Amino acid sequence: MAGKEATVYIVDVGRTMGERKYGRTQTNLDWALEYVWDKITTTVATGRKTFNVGVLGLRTDETKNAMQDDEDYEHITVFQELGQMLMPDVRRLRNDLVVNKTSTGDAISALVIAIQMIAEKCKKLQYFRKIILITDARAPMQTEDLSQITKKLKEDNIELVILGVDFDDADYGFKEESKPGEKEEHEEILRTLCADCGGVFGTLAQAVDELQIPRTKSVKPTPTFKGLLTLGNPEMFEDSLTIDVERYAKTMKASPPSASSFAVRDGVSDATQSTATLSNGEGGGQDGDGLSNIQRTFTYQVDDEDAPGGKRDLQRDELSKGYEYGRTAVHISESDQNVVRFETQPGLDIIGFVEKKKYQRYLEMSRANVLVSQKHNDKASMALSSLIHALYELDTYAIGRLVSKENRDPKIVMLAPNIEREFECLYEIELPFAEDIRSYKFPPLDRVLTVSGKELKVHRNLPNDELQDAMSAYVDSMDLSTFVKDDEGEDAEYAPMDETYNPTLHRLQQVIKHRAVFPGAEPPPVFDILTKYSKPPDELVEQSQPVLDRVIKAGDVKKVPPKARGRRWSRKEAPKPLSDLDVAALLAQDPKRRTKRIDPQNAIPEFIQLLASDDTVKLEDMHDACKQLKFIIFDWIKHSMGNTGYGRALEGIRVMREQMNDYEEPAPFNDFLKELKKKVLGGELGGDRQEMWYRVRVNKMYPIFKEECSTSEYTEEEAKNFLRPT
Amino acid sequence: MTELAFRMADDYKYGRGPDEDDEEEEEIEESSYKTQKDAVLFAIDVSKSMLTKPSDADSKKPDEALSPTVAALKCAYTLMQQRIISNPSDMMGILLFGTEKSKFQEGDDDGGRPGLQYPHCYLLTDLDVPAAADVKQLRTLVDDEEEAADLLQASSEEVSMANVLFCANQIFTTKAPNFSSRRLFLVTDNDFPHASSRDQRNSAAVRAKDLYDLGVTIELFPISHPDRGYTFDRSKFYNDIVYSSVPSDPDAPAPLAADIKTASSTATDGISLLQSLISSVASRSVPRRALFSNVPFEIGPGLKISIKGYKTLMRQAPKRTTYIYLPPDSDKPQIAVGSSTLVAEDNARTVEKAEVRKAFKFGGETVSFTEEELAKIKHFGDPVVRIIGFKPQSKLPIWASLQESTFIYPSEEDFIGSTRVFSALHQKLLKDQKFALAWYIPRRNASPRLVAVIPGAEERNETGEQQMPPGFWIKYLPFADDIREMPETNLVKAPDNVVDAMRFVVQQLQLPKAVYDPSKYPNPSLQWFYRILQALALEEDLPEQPDDKTLPRWKQIHKRAGKFVLDWGAQLETSFNEWQEENKANIKPATNGASKRTAASSSAPRGTKKVKDEDDDGGITDEQMRAAYSKNAISKYTVADMKAWMSTKGIKAAGGKKADYVDAITSHFETKMDVD
Repeated sequence: MAGKEATVYIVDVGRTMGERKYGRTQTNLDWALEYVWDKITTTVATGRKTFNVGVLGLRTDETKNAMQDDEDYEHITVFQELGQMLMPDVRRLRNDLVVNKTSTGDAISALVIAIQMIAEKCKKLQYFRKIILITDARAPMQTEDLSQITKKLKEDNIELVILGVDFDDADYGFKEESKPGEKEEHEEILRTLCADCGGVFGTLAQAVDELQIPRTKSVKPTPTFKGLLTLGNPEMFEDSLTIDVERYAKTMKASPPSASSFAVRDGVSDATQSTATLSNGEGGGQDGDGLSNIQRTFTYQVDDEDAPGGKRDLQRDELSKGYEYGRTAVHISESDQNVVRFETQPGLDIIGFVEKKKYQRYLEMSRANVLVSQKHNDKASMALSSLIHALYELDTYAIGRLVSKENRDPKIVMLAPNIEREFECLYEIELPFAEDIRSYKFPPLDRVLTVSGKELKVHRNLPNDELQDAMSAYVDSMDLSTFVKDDEGEDAEYAPMDETYNPTLHRLQQVIKHRAVFPGAEPPPVFDILTKYSKPPDELVEQSQPVLDRVIKAGDVKKVPPKARGRRWSRKEAPKPLSDLDVAALLAQDPKRRTKRIDPQNAIPEFIQLLASDDTVKLEDMHDACKQLKFIIFDWIKHSMGNTGYGRALEGIRVMREQMNDYEEPAPFNDFLKELKKKVLGGELGGDRQEMWYRVRVNKMYPIFKEECSTSEYTEEEAKNFLRPT
Repeated sequence: MTELAFRMADDYKYGRGPDEDDEEEEEIEESSYKTQKDAVLFAIDVSKSMLTKPSDADSKKPDEALSPTVAALKCAYTLMQQRIISNPSDMMGILLFGTEKSKFQEGDDDGGRPGLQYPHCYLLTDLDVPAAADVKQLRTLVDDEEEAADLLQASSEEVSMANVLFCANQIFTTKAPNFSSRRLFLVTDNDFPHASSRDQRNSAAVRAKDLYDLGVTIELFPISHPDRGYTFDRSKFYNDIVYSSVPSDPDAPAPLAADIKTASSTATDGISLLQSLISSVASRSVPRRALFSNVPFEIGPGLKISIKGYKTLMRQAPKRTTYIYLPPDSDKPQIAVGSSTLVAEDNARTVEKAEVRKAFKFGGETVSFTEEELAKIKHFGDPVVRIIGFKPQSKLPIWASLQESTFIYPSEEDFIGSTRVFSALHQKLLKDQKFALAWYIPRRNASPRLVAVIPGAEERNETGEQQMPPGFWIKYLPFADDIREMPETNLVKAPDNVVDAMRFVVQQLQLPKAVYDPSKYPNPSLQWFYRILQALALEEDLPEQPDDKTLPRWKQIHKRAGKFVLDWGAQLETSFNEWQEENKANIKPATNGASKRTAASSSAPRGTKKVKDEDDDGGITDEQMRAAYSKNAISKYTVADMKAWMSTKGIKAAGGKKADYVDAITSHFETKMDVD
């Protein structure tokens, strides 16, 4: 929730926090800090100035607080006053929050200081106030003032959270055996305090455990449209219907944190070498990270026959705004911009109604919104309710035309009813316009139509009865809607949407927060919940194995071996036209082609045909064909006016690469590419041909490498490096 | 499809640097998908027969009285206009063959004997991204019969088909050498050229093979003449020219090319030649480009099949403005091509792509990772569509939508037998109305998503043409992170009589066949934008009225549902008054004495059942504000509303931020309570 927050963490750093208990490899403090850092860095990550964080050390060797002259407040140190926390604070706190030698220090006194800190910061203003105390409760406390503290916490509306190292928690199922007597006493005091002020009391183990349940950011609902839902035209007819409605987002893709681009500052050694020291700027420059922001500057060019290179550079202020109509520029002056605007009035008009069972969900174009009646408008609420119920009862959806603001483009939306006990709304999702659909056509999946017009029901591309039957059993066996049971033993849904989390988003947040606090450490492991739904549940797989085996057997799916794609010694039959005419024979008779000289005008087809020809059986023939194409390509580049011939040359290169890769004969192509590089960059093909090589690079015309074809001498890495123009 | 990877990057302008950045993977993927460009060359037969108007044409329907050649040109004209909108960077050209005149590309004069290389081939529009002038020229040709008569003259000798095909070959080779999609749209009514010469037909077949090897697909649009008793027979000649996409196998699925029906030169069933040509061409206007072709579909552990993904739905939007250069000495504006360089802020030096470091902003500084670390962090496995189980479609709430779905169809490329397994799953899920829940990683290092794999049935229209292909749709499901909180509402449920009245209204207004048919609803603002742009580009008068097919049919609504709406309005009025009576006790009068809530809707015009906000003019009542205060929910109001309310109380905020207003109102109540 947006708004202002003031949170004070009280962290016990006393001597006993240095203990390692119950087989834990961490000290109690490090364990506690897992929780503290997670919470604090979550706040830091928001970057909000209004989220204030304060940190108190309890049982510190030193004493530093507003009431330090009073001996009741000894061994309490204010590490961080309430304020926005930034990276330097994080770094400082990392050094502050270490185990101290002290055994004494009163948690209740620390609470008093925390309450005061909050009171000073927040005054009477609207804040979300919170104190989090983490301790092992091994130091004595003065309890006379407890009732007053309870009163004050309630008065100031401060939420108190107390987390204890190895505190007993029946709900969580933890009980510390052989607990020291005084600890038991202290635990009880704190438990009572929490109960009295309505706070939260828990054991640290649970809190740390729960850290791996991702937290979703809640966003305050704000309307994206306020206006009238209309049926008919009130301006034309009296019998029109209008209802005041508001529209809110129902779904909205939350995006993972995105990285910004930076340049390494001059004088800073390469930033990729050690990110640890980078973000840890102790002793470094003011910004601590040695990075400089990057800006993008734009330059523009137009064709100009008189200019060198045929292009002329222009600055933005020499240009005007306009549009492209095909390759024609259409100038529209700033003042005329509105001629292309389609004028609209805001509103949601119902176009008509459709049947729910005929509605195809794959047409949906957008995220979902909800429409509810206007706030505080009871009559609109009743009116909308009648529409929602009518749609529901008729199994019908409405189709509407929505303009959310004046002069926004209209959208076609569908409206579906939703009825809950205390909440009703229309869900709204955008549907496509005619232009948004591409009519791709695909053959039917349940029958095969042959070239000759026959309709087949039995074919290798169609499942036989056994496959259909096995698949049916498999699908039924892998049903997720009945797989898990809830507490009452009823069927519960597996992987409901509100229990699934965006893996990238939460993983990135986790590692960023971690790195901020521990710059030198490896990123922590992924939380299981993020990958829980990356595969079917084991239990279900085990149970379904017999039917799956049946599907696999009946399906008889075979991986195409990579070798089979090669054509070197086992040629695929040459492609034939629909009539099965033996074109290869015609080609063989063609007098021009019998010379085996590739015509530069028709180079690519003739190159491919020459390779495929029955006469090309020896390696030399193949090499000769490549050699011919090579000289043609050189010629194209050499005689290219500016860059006009580059596209053609590039296609030649691509085809030679593809063919040699297919025939598993990388040498002629790779040798050609070497020669090409030398000639192009050496200016041997008619002057400056840098751009030609640039195009070879961006089109990834690598030498054929080992991973593609084992006889190549290039590794993928080497192949990529080869393209660098040096 | 595997070779596409080598072609995609072609579109980047020189000087920008190779863009191998996959940080903003989604965008990059989308844009490189778009750069797979398409070039279409229309080849239109101009024989005597093609120039003859149908004998029994209805003179009142000018579209039906067109000669096949003119109909084909009109069709090309329509397609050109459409493609400027839908595929602005794709090329198109028009080649006439069988003409008396000959003309080839500019600068190919060959010593003053233009076009002699390809006699009776007339290159009307060279293959390129269309310019306004091309559109204009084409329109003049189809609109002005005299203009057309000069050019559209059939040659007396037969044109060599081998030559026509080689001419097309040269056009593609020079103008679109490395386009990923190149297609020759051949429109003719002659099913047997070179009837007397086997040799000539054979050389045509050889030239067709050249085109095939060049990567050009021939799409045949044949025309029959029922009025002359002539039916186009593909087997005589064209089956030697046209290739199927699959290797020769009599039992293979029919190539999509055969989908194109033979058009009839006379109107049949009210469909003119022009309409049927346009519809056939439209079905071919977008080349089928796969979004991905190497993502395995894992149906169960140990059972993978190969699929291809297609972006069948894609939002079309008007092009954004570009920068234009107006040369001082010419009135012909030029498109300025922009390129960007990266510059470091601290010392303004140019930064090479390789020097760029990625870092996350955090606590006023940055947190960074090495590229390898980041790749590892983001890695959740290789690309896959992995089924984790099945659920009934009823378990998929209607609001579970985030974006357009991706269509998938089986391929035999990596796994033989994929199609039959896919089909078995498809039939089962269709029959049982189930969907598969799947873990989906569309690309290397892309964010994993949970998706619903929903079966889609094949849909065909009355004429048997496929409207929607059969296959699965991958629908992104929202994560918990993507689901928003719902606003607070005060629900007043409608009593049964009001619902009943509304039901009658709804029942009157079903759309045809009770479905939404997108083809009936062109995007009005997109159409308007390009109509205006076209008028400006061709220097014509601007159109006055937009054509908006999305507006409801008000007269129909009035006629069919009007009286039911009135009845509903009356029922609502009564029921709402009753409700108010019953709930009176709960409504406290506002401080000014008058209960705002009783003022409902009296201001609405008579008869129009306008449900108006009773607080529309009055803003927030004191009572509402107090309620909000006690619920700690003042911030739900807008700043404007708070401001208005505060001005009635004479309260001022300490600052201009929303929080300041909330604070001011809070302290107002706090002090007031003390007084109470």
